This record gives sequence, C-alpha cells and structure tokens, in this order.
Amino acid sequence: MEGLAIRASRPSIFCSLPGLGGDPQRRPPADGFLNFPASSNAAENTKLVVNSGSFHPISAVNVSTQASLTADFPALSETNEKEERINGEKKADNIVWHESSICRCDRQQLLQQKGCVIWITGLSGSGKSTVACALSKALFERGKLTYTLDGDNVRHGLNRDLTFKAEDRTENIRRIGEVAKLFADVGVICIASLISPYRRDRDECRSLLPEGDFVEVFMDVPLSVCESRDPKGLYKLARAGKIKGFTGIDDPYEAPLNCEVVLKHTGDDFSSSPRQMAENIISYLQNKGYLEG
Amino acid sequence: MSTNIFWQESPIGKTERQKLLNQKGCVVWITGLSGSGKSTLACSLSRELYTRGKLSYILDGDNLRHGLNKDLGFKAEDRVENIRRVGEVAKLFADAGLICIASLISPYRKDRDACKPFTFRLFSLKNILFDVYMNMSLQLCEARDPKGLYKLARAGKIKGFTGIDDPYESPLNCEIELKEKEGECPSPVAMAEEVIAYLEAKGFLQNQ
Repeated sequence: MEGLAIRASRPSIFCSLPGLGGDPQRRPPADGFLNFPASSNAAENTKLVVNSGSFHPISAVNVSTQASLTADFPALSETNEKEERINGEKKADNIVWHESSICRCDRQQLLQQKGCVIWITGLSGSGKSTVACALSKALFERGKLTYTLDGDNVRHGLNRDLTFKAEDRTENIRRIGEVAKLFADVGVICIASLISPYRRDRDECRSLLPEGDFVEVFMDVPLSVCESRDPKGLYKLARAGKIKGFTGIDDPYEAPLNCEVVLKHTGDDFSSSPRQMAENIISYLQNKGYLEG
Repeated sequence: MSTNIFWQESPIGKTERQKLLNQKGCVVWITGLSGSGKSTLACSLSRELYTRGKLSYILDGDNLRHGLNKDLGFKAEDRVENIRRVGEVAKLFADAGLICIASLISPYRKDRDACKPFTFRLFSLKNILFDVYMNMSLQLCEARDPKGLYKLARAGKIKGFTGIDDPYESPLNCEIELKEKEGECPSPVAMAEEVIAYLEAKGFLQNQ
C-alpha cells in the first residue's frame, strides 16, 4: 500500500494494489514514445523536421482491469464503483473491484517524462517568449512533449471574458495556473510564459501543484534593457501615457525571492543566447528527474 | 558552427507534437444524463487508448469544479460558463496533440454547439470535436443513481437537477450514439471500442 500513500511524492510506476487481484503483468510500453536521438551537432538540426524512419509507435499493452487508487479522480472512482455493482457484472465477493482510470504515472511512463510547470516570469521584453520557444524546441529534440501557455493562446480563448482590472489580472493568472496544473497532470511539460508581476499570484499557482512540480524561472533583465528592446512598442506607449498601469513603468514588478532558475542578463551573447538559457532550464529539469518516466 | 546552417525559428506546433505522439489531437465530448455512464465510458476509453499507446486525458465536470471552475455554482449562467471553459481547455489539449475526453452532463444544446465553430488562431474545433451521446433512459439512470442525486432531486432537496426539473436537450446530430440494446446497456469496453473504431476510421489514431 505504501507506493500509493502519498500524492505529493513521485508515484510508483505500477498503480496496482497487490493482493487485490491487480494484474502485475500490466506493463506500460518500455520505450515510451519515439525517442529522438539527442543531437549535439547543429548541422543535423537545420530543420525541425523529423526523419520518419526514426518513429516507432508503442506496441499495444495488455491492460486488464484492476483495482487501483484513482487519486486523480476520487469522484470518478466512487461513481464507477457503484455503477459496477448496479450493472450486475459478476465480480468476486471479496474484491472491491472498479475500473481504474489511467493515472498520471501511466502517462508519464508512456511519455518518458514527468509533468511539471515551467513558469517564466519577467518584465515585458525580458525574453520570456523567446526562451519559451527555445525551450520547447530543445525539449522536442529530446523527444519530450511540451505545451506553451502564453497571453496569446489564453487571452482570446479561455480568458477572453477578462479585462485588465486588478481582480481580472489575478483571475487571469489563477486560470492559467489551473490549466497548467492539468497539463502537468497529463504528464506534459507545460511552459507558462507571462509577466505575472505579483508575487502573491505566482505563489498561489505554485501552491496548486505538488512540491517540486512548479519551476519558477525569472528573466532577470534590467528595465533599461527591456525598454531598449521594446519588441511590441508598449514601453513607448506607456511612457507617452497612452497605456496606464504598465508593468515596470507605472505598475510594479515583484521579482521572485526564491525561484528555481534565474536567467540573468549578462550582456554576453553566448550565455544570454536563448538556446543557452533553455539549456540551463533543461539541466535543472534533468537533475530533478523530469526528463525520464 | 558552419555559416551555411540556418536555424529555423518556427516554434514547435501542433504538427510536431502530433508526430511525436503519433496521433491527432481531438475532443471526445461525452454528454448524457447523470448516471448514463459518461465517466465509466471515459475511463474505459482512456484505458483502451492507453493500451494502443495513445495519450488521452479526461476532463471531468466534477474534477474541474474543484480547480479551474471552483468559482462557479450551478446557476444557469454558471453552467454556461462551466461548459465554455471546459471547451476552451479541451481546445488547448487538442492543440497539444492529446485526445481529450470531456465527460459532463452539458444539458443545453446551445452551449455544446457554441464550442464548435469558434476559431482560435488558425485552429478550430470543427472536425475535431465529436459528440458521444449516452442515450440511456431516465429510468435506467435513475435506477442506477450512482451519486444518490436523483433521490435527493425527487425529494425536492436539489432544485434544477437535469432530467428531473431541468431539461436535458439531446443532441440533434451527434457522431456516436450509445444506447441500450433490448433494455441492456453495452459493456464499457464495448462502448469504448465503438468510439475507438470511429476515431480510427477518421484517422486520429495515427499521425498521417
């Protein structure tokens, strides 16, 4: 029973409860998904198009029904248990038998990675989207599945009903945090790339996830550098008073006090390159075991 | 580094993710009365897909209400907003390349249909969202009453309960309809296989 006790720690791979008729032969696919060879030679990576010869889909897995702790969906397990009894399907009297859902550990085994949230925070123009893009590419090359949540794909969809009022900004971050949590539960490495200027809002998102699964990355770039870049022309508008409450100009940015990764602008092209910054994050993920199942 | 190498700056998109997963993202939207077997089917479907090496995820009405939708109640406008948010999240999941299984009563036709034609960037749910209608009789659902809610609704302790004193608008056009055969409900695995056969025929269980 121990392997199932704690949700916060890494779950064991097999979710079956020994002694309750669970099938120990249920084996997730050994190799997970296609494994791209991690190429250190940039010449091979001129285009991010994968040679279809390297694909090898996972072979079918024999998954028999088994009793398992559906910690992810407690309501689901309760429902299934009662439905099973009422449907009159014959089950042994001494086994509490209900159809298990696929759990997070199964998906992580399939993907050969662990779900987490990479929360990239920093001023406008600090390079969040650039690093998010480089990170998702670098992880893709390693055969890892990521998804990026940013202002663009969320503001016009899920959060299209929200304005820029203070309470809506908080709600914006909250909803993104909840969605990122879902992605992490899928087993996806979810990259959230948002200014998210208030420490309290970021900490709230952190609290939604198990310990360690929220990786806060601070783009530590001086305002002067961000402003000189001004990729969307917003600093100019803010300085001219055409935008109110713009972070860094007339609204504060609260830097993280204790985050997992700090990407500090040094002015040195190599160490500040998007690729190198992405590799810094990847080293962190590797050390913490997120790049394996 | 050679000077003749050009690093393309295109971000990783849906195409790349679908190649990685060897499947195409889509949304299986299971609708039906409370007790019709939506969660059971969702579970069975997710498991059968897993045995085929396919990545899926269940968005369950109950589960979402404790997270993303915890600020919403059961008033009509909150139900609408609940469905809207689930639809938006399902779109994101499909964009990520996942087979997203949405399992919720979703009683109003207008709200289910509202998710479909919405265009988001270059990406629409049209052609990738499939309605699975659990067409089980109210009698069967009430006899099951897995959460004891019909009993409470009949006793007047819950108001506006779908099927009792709030309508369920069945889909006019759904891709898959699952119903009782001679008063018997098919097994969860059989129903899952039917959905999988559909997805397979439509090419979602492969990348090409």
